[in-house]
Amino acid sequence: MTMNSTGLAYELQQVSFSYDPEHPVLSDLSFSIPQGSWISLVGPNGCGKSTLARLLGGLLAANAGTIIVEGTPLLKETVQQIRPRIGMVFQNPDNQFIGATVEEDIAFGLEGRCLPREEMVERVHRYAEKLEIGHLLSKHPSELSGGQKQRVAIAAILALEPGILIFDEASSMLDERARGELLAILKEMKGSGRYTMISITHDADEILASDRAIVLHKGGMAADLTPRELFGDEALLDACRLIAPYGIRLLNELRKRGIDLSAESPKEVADAIWPLYSNR
Amino acid sequence: MRNKLLFGRRIDTGSWVHGLDPRAKLTGMLLYLAAIVLVGSWRALALAALFSLTYMTATRIPLKYYVKAAKPLWALMVFIFAVQCLTVDRGQVIWRLGSWALYTGGLSSGFIAASRMALLVSFTAILTFTTTPGLLNQGLAGVLAPFQRIGLKPQRLTLMMSIALRFIPTILEETQKILKAQAARGADLKELPWREKGRMLVSLLVPVTVGAFRRAEELVLSMESRGYTIGAPRTEYHRLGWSRRDTWFVLSYVALIAAVLMLR
Repeated sequence: MTMNSTGLAYELQQVSFSYDPEHPVLSDLSFSIPQGSWISLVGPNGCGKSTLARLLGGLLAANAGTIIVEGTPLLKETVQQIRPRIGMVFQNPDNQFIGATVEEDIAFGLEGRCLPREEMVERVHRYAEKLEIGHLLSKHPSELSGGQKQRVAIAAILALEPGILIFDEASSMLDERARGELLAILKEMKGSGRYTMISITHDADEILASDRAIVLHKGGMAADLTPRELFGDEALLDACRLIAPYGIRLLNELRKRGIDLSAESPKEVADAIWPLYSNR
Repeated sequence: MRNKLLFGRRIDTGSWVHGLDPRAKLTGMLLYLAAIVLVGSWRALALAALFSLTYMTATRIPLKYYVKAAKPLWALMVFIFAVQCLTVDRGQVIWRLGSWALYTGGLSSGFIAASRMALLVSFTAILTFTTTPGLLNQGLAGVLAPFQRIGLKPQRLTLMMSIALRFIPTILEETQKILKAQAARGADLKELPWREKGRMLVSLLVPVTVGAFRRAEELVLSMESRGYTIGAPRTEYHRLGWSRRDTWFVLSYVALIAAVLMLR
């Protein structure tokens, strides 16, 4: 990862956006995202999450305020230089499949980078292997499942070797199993330490796996906290229309009744609970 | 539904036809079209059929796929056959009905015309059966390259075409879904009288069009986020290589045209 002097992937200063002045979509957002961290953007539908993702991806320009990406302000003049640093994965796996085969889809962005053919072929195969879609390279999108298509989308983005990845509800159209697989991919990417990740999501497990949650409400920032703090705050969860994972709900209920257990994973929750029974 | 859709589906057998330069295949197909148009006799038809069969076998793709490719157009073939039977008045009368008569000439030219159509459709399937859409596009860009001088932008055109082709199955699937949704609400297209069917098709067209626009919008975002800029230089993933075999392939079609002309 190329480090800039600030160590920040993003710095937002009083960013506002609206399609028409009467109805602001985002107003006065200020926060920063350190390089290498994983942020969840959460909030109820229509709170401006996807719009914010597009601003961060340089696909829309803010009406007011400044977005600084890795030390460089995002402006009309700099967007072409900044965009290659950012990769975006969208919600609908079908509508981001540009090529007629998996191979061509991964190659699409590389062709735009004007890479020599040998390097394109090498990257297509390397990233396809990484996402376990090497055997699907010649397939047409209609022959793939949603989860496989989403893997292709991620491979196509990773092949461009960006430092920042934005997932705009990338898991919301997947079935439970594919969602679990996607989460494992995200965790592995986080573990590699090469990427700053921003995921817009309603998925509790995904939020829990991230470092920090930024909560949007009606276009403004409602909270900036750790996932554990978020899942401990029932008023906030309610405002975001989120439901905490079962284990955490159980711990919260126990805490209300005077039993304070600390646990992270479902297994730890179980391990913390069963001694209470056996001691009786 | 999408399983029935053979159009644009590559069938990989690794034959030498698969390995030809897409530009050679495209040129060959254009010449084939010319040859087929020139077929006017039984002998020429037999020759064209023999020629087509030779190449079809060379692709090592089972012939039934070619038959399947031509199948959707059977009504058109029957129509062409019927028109010839109704209008041509050469040869002997076989059957008379009032003021109209069926002539042997009509029957034979009807048969030739319908066979030409069948040959054309099944043979040109070789192109899509043996070439990936990406290669085909690049080939098309190559064939169109000379037109760059008159302001045509081949890369833009072929990108447009490839995206359109890529989304045909997706949009068909969506159409199917909307049809089912309408049927579930009591408007089943299959059970309606013809005039109602027309009205229903309009109410089908609106959601499908809106859906296509929504997809296009998302696709644009995805393309932009992958750094696509209109008119920006790009390198090409597939490498085209013209070999001697490609030249011979194209020449074989020139020979076909010459032979067909001689057998007229």
